[in-house]
Formats: sequence, C-alpha cells, structure tokens
Amino acid sequence: MTATRRGLTTAATNTPESLTHYKITLRRSAISLPESFKATLVSLGIHRRMQTVYHPHTPECAGKILKVKELVEVENVPVSAVRTKTEQRQERKAMRGYKVVRSTLS
Amino acid sequence: MFGAFRASSVAHGGLLWKTPWKLSTTRKANVRSRLKKVDAVIEAVRASGMQCTALAKALELPKEHEMLPRDKYTVFSPHARGYRKGVHKVPKWTRLTLRTNPEGF
Repeated sequence: MTATRRGLTTAATNTPESLTHYKITLRRSAISLPESFKATLVSLGIHRRMQTVYHPHTPECAGKILKVKELVEVENVPVSAVRTKTEQRQERKAMRGYKVVRSTLS
Repeated sequence: MFGAFRASSVAHGGLLWKTPWKLSTTRKANVRSRLKKVDAVIEAVRASGMQCTALAKALELPKEHEMLPRDKYTVFSPHARGYRKGVHKVPKWTRLTLRTNPEGF
C-alpha cells in the first residue's frame, strides 16, 4: 500500500516542480533505544511523535534519516509543500466564525 | 503435586509472563508491514538522489519481498539450538534492523 503511494509520488516528478525536500514524520518513539537514536532525532529537529519536519535534500540529512529509518516515515516534496511549525498549526486549525446555512424563520 | 497449593511457576513467583516460541499469523503480518514501511523510507531516500555511505549500506539490505520467511521471523543466535531463535525474543526488535545473518549462517 505504502509502496504504491511512493510510486505515485515518484511518478509526479514529471511536473515542473522538482522534489527538493524530505518530509519526515516521527511514527515510532525512540524511548529506551540507545542515546544515539535520540540524538539523531534531536539533530533532525524532532522531539515528539507524529511531528513533521522538512529538510532540504543533503547527504547529511539522508544519513540521519537512514539511521532512524525504523522510526520515521519519509516523503520527497517540492519547495512549495514545505511548512514551518506555525504554518502546519494554522492549516490544522478550524475556520473562525460561522456561516448561516438556512433560517428557520422564513 | 495436585490441589490448590501445588507447586507451580505462578505459585512460586507470583507473576509469570510467557513468551510464545513462535509468532502468530497476525504478528507475522505486522512484521511484514513494518519491513515494508522501512523499505519505503529507503526507497524515498534513494529517489532523492543523494549519495552517502548510509544509503549504500541500506541498499545492500534485502527488501521485504526478497527475504526468506526464515530471515523475517527468526534471527541468528549463537546460543539457541540450531543457531536460530524467534525474532520477537530480541529486545526492541520492532525498531531494529535484523535482516541479515552472519557469514555462513
């Protein structure tokens, strides 16, 4: 299932935007694993489960991801998909205010 | 030997946890699913086009569909009979890379 999704992501490279960043999500915690795993996650800027961070494609980042490959989920994304922590929170938020759907008076 | 006060592991120790010697069908399915997820991570890093030692090492690992059932569900153990034991006997086994065997095993 996941492999198919990866295949589609790779197939999307023919679109003008090239994939330049890793989207890294921590799925499994590093609790009770050796300190080096936790240190790797900290150096990736991850400190809690289900947190998502974006990093540009570099060999250093690739090595860090592979160190913790059992714990994370990785996707290649274009620059336009990169979100900061604040932007991610804004996207999660519900819309403010309300919209009148219908009135019972008329 | 019989009766309410017979000697048994539970009666002596109070608490007894038993680890089954082999994985159930469901647990084996979960193993395969985890292996596939790790394969997806390696594939994503490979697709990014970066070159590094960690990637070269990761690409040498067998993929989930290339592994024998023996390698998926058991690991080498120097002490076990037949040099194999269930992979679930390894501490933290769901978050470790346990895909390859030592030379000759």
